[in-house]
Amino acid sequence: MHRRLTLASAGVVAALLLTACTGGAGEAEPEPAGSPDPDASVSVRLVLEPGNLNVRETSGAALDQILIDNIYQGLVTRTPEQEIEPALADDYTVSTDGLTYSFTVREGVTFHNGQELTPQDVVWSLQTAKDTPAYVDSDRLAKVSSITAEGQVVTLTLTEPDSQLLWTLTGRAGLIFKEGDDTDLATAANGTGPFTLASWRQGDSIVFARNDAYWGEPATSAEIVFSYIPDTSAAVNAALAGEVDVLTGFDATLAERVEANGDFEVVTGPSTDKGTLAMNSLTAPLDDIRVREAIRRAIDHDAIIEALGAGETLYGPIPPLDPGYEDLSDVVPYDPEAARELLAEADAEDLDLTLTIPSFYPTTIPQVLVSQLAEVGITLEVDSVEFPVWLQDVYTNRDYELSFVLHTESRDFENWANPDYYFTYDEPRVQELYAQSLVATDEDEVAELLSEAARIVSEDMAADWLYNGASVLAVANNVSGMPTTNVNSRLDAAELGKS
Amino acid sequence: MLRYALTRLALLLVGLAVASVLIFATLRVLPGDVAQLIAGTQGTPEQVAAIRERLGLDAPAVVQYLDWIGGVFSGDLGSSLLTGTPVATELLEKAQVTVPLGLLALLVALAVALPFGVLSALWRARAAGTAVNVAAQTLAAVPVVWAGMMLVVVFAVWVGVLPAQGFPRAGWSDPAAALRALVLPALTIGVVEGALLLRFVRSATLDAQGRDYVRTAAAKGLTRTQALLRHGLPNVGLSVVTVLGLQVAGIIVGSVVIEQLFSLPGVGRMLVADVAARDLEKVQGSLLVLTGFVLIVGFVVDLAHRVIDPRQREAA
Repeated sequence: MHRRLTLASAGVVAALLLTACTGGAGEAEPEPAGSPDPDASVSVRLVLEPGNLNVRETSGAALDQILIDNIYQGLVTRTPEQEIEPALADDYTVSTDGLTYSFTVREGVTFHNGQELTPQDVVWSLQTAKDTPAYVDSDRLAKVSSITAEGQVVTLTLTEPDSQLLWTLTGRAGLIFKEGDDTDLATAANGTGPFTLASWRQGDSIVFARNDAYWGEPATSAEIVFSYIPDTSAAVNAALAGEVDVLTGFDATLAERVEANGDFEVVTGPSTDKGTLAMNSLTAPLDDIRVREAIRRAIDHDAIIEALGAGETLYGPIPPLDPGYEDLSDVVPYDPEAARELLAEADAEDLDLTLTIPSFYPTTIPQVLVSQLAEVGITLEVDSVEFPVWLQDVYTNRDYELSFVLHTESRDFENWANPDYYFTYDEPRVQELYAQSLVATDEDEVAELLSEAARIVSEDMAADWLYNGASVLAVANNVSGMPTTNVNSRLDAAELGKS
Repeated sequence: MLRYALTRLALLLVGLAVASVLIFATLRVLPGDVAQLIAGTQGTPEQVAAIRERLGLDAPAVVQYLDWIGGVFSGDLGSSLLTGTPVATELLEKAQVTVPLGLLALLVALAVALPFGVLSALWRARAAGTAVNVAAQTLAAVPVVWAGMMLVVVFAVWVGVLPAQGFPRAGWSDPAAALRALVLPALTIGVVEGALLLRFVRSATLDAQGRDYVRTAAAKGLTRTQALLRHGLPNVGLSVVTVLGLQVAGIIVGSVVIEQLFSLPGVGRMLVADVAARDLEKVQGSLLVLTGFVLIVGFVVDLAHRVIDPRQREAA
């Protein structure tokens, strides 16, 4: 099946001071006094800048985060709470056999260049997405056999049910473009969203301007400036000097510093970020399930959350925001004594292991792992590598022992059903359950099948899930409408305002 | 003189040719590639191969090198593999930040080094001289990043008179704002570089003090200080010019760090991002231009030396 992984730099920069974060998960955003100024320019700090803006051909969470919903739209979209709702379709129906999807395309929608959206544009966009393997997520439309338009209604016919299809249409593969448009998507954009792309200064900022011809509720602010400030202290200083209004990807342990002058508040929201410790089970000693279990039992997950200052524990591949979540903490409770016994049983005492980690992650996680694994006699060597090197060695060649990556993508259980993925996990029962979940037409049944599969993955010690990350933001007191859920994946700026 | 200039020019060109091969070769040694980054972690090997072919990365290295160099000779530095933007366009845009930053930093360095360097030599027997010297030693040892952070905390966060980071989006169309954005970064590089330069000026001045011509001038009735200022300093200036030439490279390297720290959209930050994204076409074009720039500065400094210092002309 398809393989997918998106990365975001965690909001967890160097372990400085352990200060308590003010917000609990899901805390409501602060309500500022005064109503938002329609002429305001709101400045948002982001961490990872996209290499180019071609959302059809270039992968990476940095593009999804800002372009989808704000600039480009699909027939349907997802709310921060991961619900699916109509967007460019004002209505849709799914046949009971799950084989026919009918979307009524909204009328009166124009692209940023003034051209009108037609049902033919929808057909063309989805058809080219399906037919062009080089496009991101193209293979996710594999079960679609025909795409036709009649009047305002676009109909997708499937060869077999696909419980993921609507979700797919809220993502890259479902975005609608103007047929025959010659915009250079690498540096410019022409979508239907509430914002137009005003400018992109590479290495600095991307600016969105309110689309006054927008078909829906107009954006609250005249302008949103996304400033790419990778350096954490530069970001905090910029906030304190009043140069940015919102910091995303914030380090919860720095809450006290940014809140010191009373202009900012640190808020957290749930996310689908999964801090994943992959274990290569193709090579010794990690091919022994006892060794993998020992590693998981040796890790004090609560201590990791404490070191990060935010987030929740997670003991399986599905986070609470996704269908199929189940609390799996009973599978491997923290127990260093049991870990030592397991290692002795596996004849793997005094183990030396290497952790390969992309260098843009902060050192907190490796530090905690080194000291916790040392407790049970495992010497962990940390190999911090540039992302292209990680892609080559770990992802493509699967040449690694342990690897840490923050997987931000929602509903990405498929990776555990794909033996070719870098996780190296190959379990027919899981693959079968996942396949069943795809053709199931009932949501509850889908969730049940996924949760059963997820338990098997966890019980097989396929990996360890160090934590379920939180969206950590520092928001200025005069800012309203900042989404707080899952902003590493999607940052809908339509309601973002400043008074 | 003409013969010297021509020989020196030939050396410059050979230097550039060697640099182009080195740049090209070292970049090819880096593991990982841009095609894989574009395809991301969903890309099948076939997709990665297709992207590689589209970008011309599947050609043999020699062919790629000749393509590149051929382009350079016809005035085409290549374009970004990711966005297709010409390297020259990007460099010009980023140079609008980095060049003024470098010049300002150089000014600050000179303003620190020249007066205090000479004074610390003149006052070497006094407490004030020792104080200047110790201060310079300390400043020269300060990490640039730390110095920058301190300046930001004081002037941007506490006092709030200068921006903490970034460069105005309007660029130099608002010169005052653009200049304000460069003050703290230029001070950061300038003070540290200036402290290094100061020690050089000091020893050059001390050296000049012991020279015959200064002593002769003193014997003719000038005070030692007068003799030094009138006859010694021109020679000090000459050696400072040489060191400044070397410092250009230092300032370019320093700008990489400073531009990260202050989130300035300059050449240094661009290079770091391009290397991380394996946008090799852009990196090699930019590096070649930078190398050429440093080599030309060296060339100019050498020629200037010949012009200013008659003794070198005779020696040739």
